Amino acid sequence: MNAMNAGKTSAAVPGRLRTVLQNRALQMLVIVILVWIVAGLSSRGFASFGHLRYLLELAAVIGLVAAGQTLVVIAGGIDLSVGAIVTVSAISLPLLSGAGDATGLVGLLATLAVATAIGLVNGVGVSALRVHPMIMTLAMATFLQGALILVAGGTAVSAHNPVVEWLGSGRLGGIPAGILLWLVVSGATLALLHATPLGARIFALGANPLATLLSGVSVPGTTMLIYAVSGFTAGLAGIVVLGMNGQGYVGIGDPYLLASIAAVVLGGTSVLGGRGSYAGTIPGAILLVTVTALITVVNASPGWRNILFGGLILGLLLLSGRERARR
Amino acid sequence: MTSDDVDPVAVAPLIAAQDITRGFFGNPVLRGVSIALRPGRIHALLGENGAGKSTLINILSGGLRPDSGRIVVNGAPRGHLTPSDARKAGIAVVQQELSLTTTLSIGENIGLGAFPRRFGLIDYRTLAGRAREVCGLVGLDEPLSLPVGALSLGRRQMVEIAKALFRNPRILILDEPTSSLSARETGILTDLLGRLRAQGVAILYISHRLNEIMALCDHVTVLKDGVVTADRPLAGIDAAGLVRLMVGRDPGDLFPTWTAPPAAPPVLSVTGFAAGMTRDIALTVQPGEVLGLGGLVGHGQEDVLLGLYGAIPATATAVRVNGATSLPGRVTRANRLGIAYVPADRRREGLHLIHSIATNLMLPAFARQHGLSLRRRRQEQGATAVLAARLGIKGDLMRPAQALSGGNQQKVALAKWLPHDPRILLLNDPTRGVDVETKREIYRMLRQLADAGQAVILLSSDTPELVNLCDRVAILREGRIVARIERRDLSEAAIVAAAMGAATAPAGTGGAP
Amino acid sequence: MTAAEPLPRGVPPLYGPVQARRNRGLYGLYAVVLAFLVIDAVLFPGLLSRDGFARLTQNWFPLALAGMAQALVMLAGGISLSLGAMVSLGAVIAAVTMSGPAGVGGGLALVLAAGLAIGAATGLIVVRLRLPAIVVTLAASFLIGGTALLILPRPGGAIPDGFSDLLAGDQPIAFGILVVIVGLWKLYLATPLGLSLYAAGENPVAAHNAGIAVDRVRIAAYALSGLLSTAAGLFVAAQTGSGDPVIGDSFTLNSIAAAVLGGVGFLGGSGTMRGALAGSLLLSLMINVMFFLGLPPVAQYVAQGLIIIAAVALPQLRIRGRRS
Repeated sequence: MNAMNAGKTSAAVPGRLRTVLQNRALQMLVIVILVWIVAGLSSRGFASFGHLRYLLELAAVIGLVAAGQTLVVIAGGIDLSVGAIVTVSAISLPLLSGAGDATGLVGLLATLAVATAIGLVNGVGVSALRVHPMIMTLAMATFLQGALILVAGGTAVSAHNPVVEWLGSGRLGGIPAGILLWLVVSGATLALLHATPLGARIFALGANPLATLLSGVSVPGTTMLIYAVSGFTAGLAGIVVLGMNGQGYVGIGDPYLLASIAAVVLGGTSVLGGRGSYAGTIPGAILLVTVTALITVVNASPGWRNILFGGLILGLLLLSGRERARR
Repeated sequence: MTSDDVDPVAVAPLIAAQDITRGFFGNPVLRGVSIALRPGRIHALLGENGAGKSTLINILSGGLRPDSGRIVVNGAPRGHLTPSDARKAGIAVVQQELSLTTTLSIGENIGLGAFPRRFGLIDYRTLAGRAREVCGLVGLDEPLSLPVGALSLGRRQMVEIAKALFRNPRILILDEPTSSLSARETGILTDLLGRLRAQGVAILYISHRLNEIMALCDHVTVLKDGVVTADRPLAGIDAAGLVRLMVGRDPGDLFPTWTAPPAAPPVLSVTGFAAGMTRDIALTVQPGEVLGLGGLVGHGQEDVLLGLYGAIPATATAVRVNGATSLPGRVTRANRLGIAYVPADRRREGLHLIHSIATNLMLPAFARQHGLSLRRRRQEQGATAVLAARLGIKGDLMRPAQALSGGNQQKVALAKWLPHDPRILLLNDPTRGVDVETKREIYRMLRQLADAGQAVILLSSDTPELVNLCDRVAILREGRIVARIERRDLSEAAIVAAAMGAATAPAGTGGAP
Repeated sequence: MTAAEPLPRGVPPLYGPVQARRNRGLYGLYAVVLAFLVIDAVLFPGLLSRDGFARLTQNWFPLALAGMAQALVMLAGGISLSLGAMVSLGAVIAAVTMSGPAGVGGGLALVLAAGLAIGAATGLIVVRLRLPAIVVTLAASFLIGGTALLILPRPGGAIPDGFSDLLAGDQPIAFGILVVIVGLWKLYLATPLGLSLYAAGENPVAAHNAGIAVDRVRIAAYALSGLLSTAAGLFVAAQTGSGDPVIGDSFTLNSIAAAVLGGVGFLGGSGTMRGALAGSLLLSLMINVMFFLGLPPVAQYVAQGLIIIAAVALPQLRIRGRRS
């Protein structure tokens, strides 16, 4: 251990080049582009502007959920309740949008407040009650699942909310609103992680919580904040999903749990915490929807679809996702 | 100092490493090192952190392959050892980092990896018998069924030694075995090693405590920068000579000259303080003063620091901390009140090993800045470069902290607080497992801080440190302050006597020192 | 040092006290389980009959196996998110093969072999390639669940009536099997390979230094976990008489909950199988009691979520005074 003074100045230049090549975000981006080129050459409609735009719209939802998930995972936790929060948001927005709410903003803000509050409760459980994140958020998901059926029953609810409809299908300069929202959230997440002291605290928390506490970082505060942010971004995703679908129903958010974790991991963020970036999660999310779309194109049975999807994640992990063993 | 009946040099070595070279990432760590362990001899291995001691031990125990050179076991040369070769050759290692499983019992831990079996099952009866026997040798009288997690660090170290003995080693390697042992436990270990020597076991003993080595060992090999600078009997050399061999120059005076603090009102005073296992503690410390906390390991000294720092719950009847009249309660408030804490276990509590040196140095700043303000990278680079220069840390600051040697890691853990100019510095055994040169630098830094008017509370398991650095020392036993020793009365004997409960005049538990 | 033979006389025994100590910290859980048993017996007096006991233990059996399976992986320092898919796969293989030419015996062998093989493969990937268990098993859940869907795209197949009645009839045979499995586990834990799981899970580096074949120990744990999971699936199929490719989904979550309720830690090497068993019994009893109270299934989710958090948080709050 004490013998690793390697990396003298002479090795710095190729070292830097290697760092760039080993940049997971870049690798993922290259893979996405390659997959798009191959798919575009072999399937006629795939590379059309409309289709790619559609893929990005789908990726936006995963990307939004994965934004919060990335923060939580970097901080050494995991949020297994994001799927349920997406559903909560998609179902409670119609219920919270009253007739007097002409613009729909009140309903939207109220929904986001609910989603953020759920995340905050997760954070309180993890930091104040010291419940393991996996248990806390799993229990929260179980709880929400029951609560949702109690509240909404088995029926789908439709929204008549102008803001939500715009987010789901509106465009600005030809770019779907969902993608724009994703761009904004991506910028904010990247800035938060890499350009603010808070971001540095999040990385520190994930690498060594005890040393972080003893260095004067408010660990409970940071923990609560990131779970709240995760609730918030999952809530945002739920609203976009509702806007795209037109109606919300129990179970609408379920696919986004695994997708968000897969996007984070494919993007090179360590599930052990302390390392990673949202920059990798973005192409990770795009790759996920691309592959799902390709599997749909192949017209495989649900069984094969699952196998292909699982095989892909495992394959990508085996190729490049080696997690160095850490004590 | 050699055992009297055999002349060890005449006996063939049980294991010998010859002309060993080993590097990491093109960086040579051992260069042509040879060492021979003979039966019935306690062989000291000395060297600063980073000199290559751990690498050499790992090569001897089969954990690492040498790049070149050979290892001769019982006269048979080979290129390298595998861990199972090493076990078969009867090599047992007591690692510096404990290797016990906290959820398993003492008995199960001792047998782990070498269980006696019957019909494929663990033979618990035989295990109990033999484990009891080796526990007896190291003075462990706890029930064998007790989980190791319930033991103090010192007791765990004894279990670790018992575990090595359980394997009936012919060659026993001990890597800083006494770093967390009490004086009594160290005494037991010393006796034990003497008996093993008489039985013909070859012992390799690594320690930073020179007085132990002088008292115990027969022969010494000194490593400096991966090269053997001495391989000779210990007879005829003194501690200063050893240090000279390790450091390569005259040790001079390890401790800086003591200066009396100017009279000033205390910056911290508590009475009726209780945290963890401590009760009824009264302490005051004034600016420029170094207050020592001594005692046997695990008698509540650490709880005092952590309680003052707000890291564990604490109560007190009366408090003055840098103007405030209540205990910090939380680490963040402790920082705001000008208290900083440097933990003993730098790898677990002090540093973020996977993060860069620069990030580690900046963390307390990140904790203070507004969370959503913009980071100024250039300014951060400047600040960390200044700190690194002040500490003598060379090379790229973007390297992960785990690439640093133990001593440099400790300097980083201390230095990250310096830009924030703490009024009260709580140091938890800052030189544990640190080489002589780094020790000297840390002592110098500590003196500078005190001269600049900062109050220091120094917890130390190294008695000479308390004697030479402190203005006053408070000794804890079983969670209470049992003695307060002023500068003029400070001596190693006084501290040890008080810690062991043999103080001539037990001090009251009340008033401030 | 001297050789150990002959054994000194009067050495206090080790195995018994070690076992007794493993109960420490579980008495609270035992008390809660007992309380739920009493509530259950009051609500449903038939519980005390042989028939009622058989029913109770049959409801518990698959979750008990799943809880043990999860605990095994967690003790090895991992976690299995593919456990539910394994349960489904076991159910599907049983439903497809047992009524075919393979017969009950062949089907049983296939189910167990599949569990062992897939478990070992998962373990191999996690342990040898040093990939995080959570991600590998997440991907594996798709692969395994997909395979189950391929074998049986929609609920169907059949378990021979005789076999169904044997396992899930009015005799408490399931309980008998559980006792045998627990006995086998105790035997396994008394082997060096089994006990080393604790060391390999808590501190792999140190265990390796102590001469333990850490990789083998951990892979064995994954393999056994797979075996128990598909066995649980087989039992579920026997209970319902047919196979369903998604019937196991809820087991992933519930097995983690059972293990955690039983005090099994996430970091490896801490916890006991008896705890996981008690945890699974508690969950199963809870569901029973809520059913008898006439709560809708959805309310069970709500209650379950709350109880899991409470069960995990309360002991944490109690020890908060100590160091983190």
